[in-house]
Amino acid sequence: MSEPRDDEDALVEEVAGAYRPRPREELRYHPAWHDLGPEGRVRAFERARALRKIEAALDPDGLSTTARAVLARIQGR
Amino acid sequence: MDLDVHLPAILERDTHAFGQWMAGAEGPIRESLRSFARVVDVEAVLQEALLRVWQVAPHFVPDGAPNGLLRLGVRIARNLAVSEVRRTRAKPASDDELAALGGEEPAVEPEPPDPMLRRVLAKCFEFLPDQPKRVLSFRLLRAGEADGVIAESIGMRLNTFLQNFGRARRMLGECLRKNGVTVEEGLVA
Repeated sequence: MSEPRDDEDALVEEVAGAYRPRPREELRYHPAWHDLGPEGRVRAFERARALRKIEAALDPDGLSTTARAVLARIQGR
Repeated sequence: MDLDVHLPAILERDTHAFGQWMAGAEGPIRESLRSFARVVDVEAVLQEALLRVWQVAPHFVPDGAPNGLLRLGVRIARNLAVSEVRRTRAKPASDDELAALGGEEPAVEPEPPDPMLRRVLAKCFEFLPDQPKRVLSFRLLRAGEADGVIAESIGMRLNTFLQNFGRARRMLGECLRKNGVTVEEGLVA
């Protein structure tokens, strides 16, 4: 298997983050997700999974950026 | 560990309690979406599912078994993922294809916090070089904001921001490994 390219790695890094455009009538994906192939999407999934544990362990309330992003939506921020 | 201990406060619309519920529920719900990772944006589905759990929680009736709200969350997330597959496919997916994609609904167990990870990680974080530490701190502090917006606000190009974040991620992973903490491959790959 070839090494992932740098630009793909940047896409994976973005997609593994918790930012998502706010849904309107439909769910909205991270724009970079569409530029990834199936393997890149799985890498982003694995990276997000690992990152959220680290984020939660660094957070005083034990919350990941996913949980923080959801709370922000609930609180209308 | 039964996350339903947070249920009475969640019914009172206590967002702090819901945060504590999410701290234990997020991992198992994300894991239940693993088989969809190639075909839907799992993070988008997960966040929407967590939001829907909050919205429907006042109508939730416990069945007496532990982690009822978590099991509901898994069901909501997987149903949403199936809807997304139907919505986004150019060619309609058959019921058999969807069943094969989702597999059986997994058993769920909340993840307890790991005190050793927290302790070692705090030290590893302190040893990060300035720029990676700064970028990681901003991504944590401004959770859910677009990387491009955060990068611009601190006078950094998006690629530089992402490279610094990647450095921070890998350095933390290596530091944790050196200190005897088991690290998932996704952190250092």
